[in-house]
Amino acid sequence: MSRLRTALREAGMLLLAATALGFIYTAAMEKGLFASRQPADTLSLPSSRNAPVMISRDQAKAYFDGGDALFIDSRHEFDYKLGHIKGAINLPLNEYNLKMGALVQLPREKLIVIYCDGADCNSSIELSARLFADGFLNVKIFFGGWDEWRAQNLPIEKSTP
Amino acid sequence: MGRVEGAESANRKVNSMKYLLSNDYLALLTRTFVGLLFLVVSLEKIVEPAAFAQSIANYKIISPPLTTVLATILPWLELLCGFGVLFGIFRRGSSLLLSGMLIVFTAGVISALWRGLDIACGCFTQDPTVGKIGWMKVVQNVTLLALTVFLYYSSSVKFSIEHHLRTRSSE
Repeated sequence: MSRLRTALREAGMLLLAATALGFIYTAAMEKGLFASRQPADTLSLPSSRNAPVMISRDQAKAYFDGGDALFIDSRHEFDYKLGHIKGAINLPLNEYNLKMGALVQLPREKLIVIYCDGADCNSSIELSARLFADGFLNVKIFFGGWDEWRAQNLPIEKSTP
Repeated sequence: MGRVEGAESANRKVNSMKYLLSNDYLALLTRTFVGLLFLVVSLEKIVEPAAFAQSIANYKIISPPLTTVLATILPWLELLCGFGVLFGIFRRGSSLLLSGMLIVFTAGVISALWRGLDIACGCFTQDPTVGKIGWMKVVQNVTLLALTVFLYYSSSVKFSIEHHLRTRSSE
């Protein structure tokens, strides 16, 4: 029993120390909780003016109908082949470096709409950050993704192996 | 007769358990492995609390700003506990905390797998493109948990700074 008591006492001290160190470090380095809050108007600054934004299904549909947008499916190839938004290309996040080459010749202002499954996946957001970092200036995230698109019976296609 | 044999084999089991728990080199090997592992993996999380907070948020169990608070504290806890088991300082507390953390992490991974989330673990690296969660992660964590529980019960004190200081001060 004394083992548990010692362990709990030590654990409590470690927890306190970790909390103190964590807060002191992040405060000193202005990270995490202490990262300088970006005021809302930074969206108009040049550095972030073209950052990826989330769009709704209706907007995604409008871009789709407009015909200028390149739709990118960030899900695994397997899911992509089972069905995807009509005309979308497949660029899984974990194969980014491998398959990114296909996008190199695109103009940086090209309208790109990225999607994945929907609420249960984050790869569309992560992929948009990658593309933005690589210089693409007109990236949209259709977060509702495949689930919302399919639910509305919007145009899809399958890849036959 | 049977009862005596049964008692003997139980006795043998207890003895071999005691042997394992008191074996200095087994404990040292485990401490080095577990300690170094947690030291190393904590560093990237310490430097990138925002990325780690996002990794936590991806599990969709807790939401900001609690994720950021966790991302502030957890990496340091991993660092201190890794340091603790490696050098034998606050050894019991460290191994208890590591066991607790591993149980919580594993529960998180299982629940995410259950809900069909396609997310990166955020365990060893914050790069979202590597280390997707899967059942292999659960096996890994349970193995690590076995090691930290072993350290908690281990009675070996060799190469432990805490023990060294204590014996010196009592001389």
